[in-house]
Amino acid sequence: MTLRTIGQRLVVAITVLWGVATLVFVILRLLPGDPAALMLSEAGASAEEIAQLRADLGLDQPLIVQYGQYLLDLAHGDLGTSLYAHRPVVTVIAEQLPSTIGLALAAMLIATVLGAALGIVAAVKAGTWIDSAATTLSVTGVSVPIFWSGLLLIWLFSLRLGWLPATGQGGLDHLILPALALGLASSAAIARLVRASLLDVLDQDFVRTARAKGLREGMILFRHALKNALIPVVTIIGLQFGFLLGGTVVTETVFSRQGIGRLLVNSILWKDLPVVQGAVLLAGLVYTVVNIAVDVAYAFLDPRIRYD
Amino acid sequence: MVVILLLVLVALCVAAVLGYFGWRAVTPKPTSLPSPVIVQPTAAATAARGGKLVYGLTLAPSNIDPHVGASSELGIPLTSVYDTLIYQDVDGSLVPGLAERWEVSGDGLVYTFYLRQDVKFHDGTPFDAQAVQFNLDRIVDPETKSQKAKGMLGTYDHSEVVDPYTVRVHLTQPYAPLLDAVSQVYVGMVSPAAVQQWGADYQLHQVGTGPFIFKEYVPQDHLTLVRNPDYNWAPDVYSHDGPAYLDEIEFRFFVDPAVRALALESGDADVMGEIPPQDAARLEADPEFRLIQVPVPGEPLQFFLNTEKAPTDDQRVRQALIYAADRTTIAQTIFMGFSPQAYGPLSAVTMGYDSATEEMYPYDPAQAEALLTEAGWTDSNGDGIRDKEGQPLALQAYIQGWGYLPEVTQMLQAQLKEVGIDLQVQLVAYPAAMAAANSGVHHLAAMVFSGSDPSILNLTYLSANADGGFNWSKVRDAELDRRLTEAVSALDLGQRANLYLQAQEQIMDLALVLPIRDYVNLNVSHARVKGLQYDRRAWFPWLYDVYLEQ
Repeated sequence: MTLRTIGQRLVVAITVLWGVATLVFVILRLLPGDPAALMLSEAGASAEEIAQLRADLGLDQPLIVQYGQYLLDLAHGDLGTSLYAHRPVVTVIAEQLPSTIGLALAAMLIATVLGAALGIVAAVKAGTWIDSAATTLSVTGVSVPIFWSGLLLIWLFSLRLGWLPATGQGGLDHLILPALALGLASSAAIARLVRASLLDVLDQDFVRTARAKGLREGMILFRHALKNALIPVVTIIGLQFGFLLGGTVVTETVFSRQGIGRLLVNSILWKDLPVVQGAVLLAGLVYTVVNIAVDVAYAFLDPRIRYD
Repeated sequence: MVVILLLVLVALCVAAVLGYFGWRAVTPKPTSLPSPVIVQPTAAATAARGGKLVYGLTLAPSNIDPHVGASSELGIPLTSVYDTLIYQDVDGSLVPGLAERWEVSGDGLVYTFYLRQDVKFHDGTPFDAQAVQFNLDRIVDPETKSQKAKGMLGTYDHSEVVDPYTVRVHLTQPYAPLLDAVSQVYVGMVSPAAVQQWGADYQLHQVGTGPFIFKEYVPQDHLTLVRNPDYNWAPDVYSHDGPAYLDEIEFRFFVDPAVRALALESGDADVMGEIPPQDAARLEADPEFRLIQVPVPGEPLQFFLNTEKAPTDDQRVRQALIYAADRTTIAQTIFMGFSPQAYGPLSAVTMGYDSATEEMYPYDPAQAEALLTEAGWTDSNGDGIRDKEGQPLALQAYIQGWGYLPEVTQMLQAQLKEVGIDLQVQLVAYPAAMAAANSGVHHLAAMVFSGSDPSILNLTYLSANADGGFNWSKVRDAELDRRLTEAVSALDLGQRANLYLQAQEQIMDLALVLPIRDYVNLNVSHARVKGLQYDRRAWFPWLYDVYLEQ
């Protein structure tokens, strides 16, 4: 992949991010609900106080003025100030981000290792009971919602066995259960793809040639077949990353962890417009970067793939 | 690998089955008004000093500055960080706090507070009249964008420093709830020096005069307080003097209600608020835990009935709705008897509650049917739903997903069907429910408001708040307006109480609201936590008296 191609990719990425910024701005304003009334709803307030706060927040300005100001601020790298926290959106997001990234990466690791292992075993033992068991497990993994598997993991490993802490932040031990809950669901999708892809490759001529040469089965599998089978898997891992980001919302809620997912949901429910805009933009950015990374990984895994 | 995964799966299934049965071993409680369980601390001599308490909160507040934010979750920890000018005891009586005594002028426009002279903020700066002036002015400053405290100060105009320890608060109009307001943590006294130093980041570096010092706050994760060794000005609401017993308190956030009991049982928390009723029933039976039920003053869980949209614009239809709703069964079934049925616009523990409303609408489906028939609604086509001039009696209820509203509405739907009303439920996100209620597309809209002063009624029933406020029954009644407005400025307690009694009866007479249940905060603590009680607002724990049994 040449530098020029990467440059083109970046131009596209910036356009995509502008689109995301505009879309989230519009959608947030189309959704019903007045932030000023919401902010005062817990304490209760008179109609006059609500109108006053709306003016103080600048929400009584025409939409086009608000949009222009928003884009102007974005161009200066300013994501604005949270309506509730009264702190810069960048700060509010930055202090939640490390926790979510840690969780997503740990979950991705679990998903990839478990998924690949499960997929390989199923492909190698295709048609046997082990294959059926692995498939059943995959289907279960995809079907079980995190809010349920998370509760069961807490119940089993924290309450009954006492091996791991149930909730909160902290060392690696705090990360295991949430990463497992989040990773299990993704591992299933990866396992199914690895199985299909590997079966496909194992059927090809060069594998037959390798077998005919008398290579050991392990050598064939890990040296020759797997690298070829991994290309579609890399794509799905990239796509799964988006799923994982979405999954952190529920995982963070169940395991009482801080993080961007919980921040985002809370901000949507309470219409903290600048925070939602900032967080969605960030998610768009991460997704775009991951996709570019996946493209680069393709080129590395398969030299035949060219982008120009 | 497959074998390990299979084992995990099997373990999960076993856990599911065991968990299911474990969680079902509960019995409903009889419906009665639970009195707050007050665990009196034993003599201070036996109270052990030291230890760390982990306190589980629910939602993480977006802003934790007491003058800015509105959430109960900020008041729970900060009640231990800040002192207030006045304290309110659990029986509602006002006792001295940072103010040794106070006077109210005859016209109700001037409040004079005489302050203690021995109080220091955690940063070492003295607490004095200038600090009080700074605090009150900060609250009403538009720059502060206060969500709650500003409204609580009502008609506050300015304060005047008479001498270093005397401050006079001037109002533009008499405002009876002022003393209640200054006894709440939202009007707690913050250190002016710290506010000037930190600006908008003050919420991360709070400094008060209370029994605990604000040590660290990591948003959405935890908030840590440590004992204030110099604390020597405890108000009489507490049971001991001098510094607090606990070394440290860590507050953590448990957003998912399903996890709260698990966190208590696995030792992640020592105290937890807002436990779901089924878990509360289970933990109540466990000697390792103690259930503390605290009824919340304010407005109950209720449906406002829109008086401006047909057919609920007909008073008879609104009354029929209340007669047809079997709220005892709802409280018994969904809230497992932990919450008493609500009868009027105020919950039973609110100051000025009118118990006469309890007799106004007994569960009486026959009466409901008679009223509907009288209003011209009959089932002419035999489909089970009443109709009039070809229109079926269909009502729109806007509800949110929390507070067991979906379950409540489902039962209500079945009960109303019995008398021929088709209740159509719109389950929407909170902002959308609010927008719907504001624009008046609803027939029923659900909401809870908490507050210890009956003036909370003004927000939901004054005609000035029918457009763009929280008057969701859209009532515009001159007589009701007069009663509520006069009650806010009435300084004579008897006159004030009388006006609120009349207002409550009028509200129920007009059938502006369908009350469901009084909100009861279900807290559970580990049994080794001693001396825990909650203040009059039901949300805020007095952790100063709490100690851990060795």
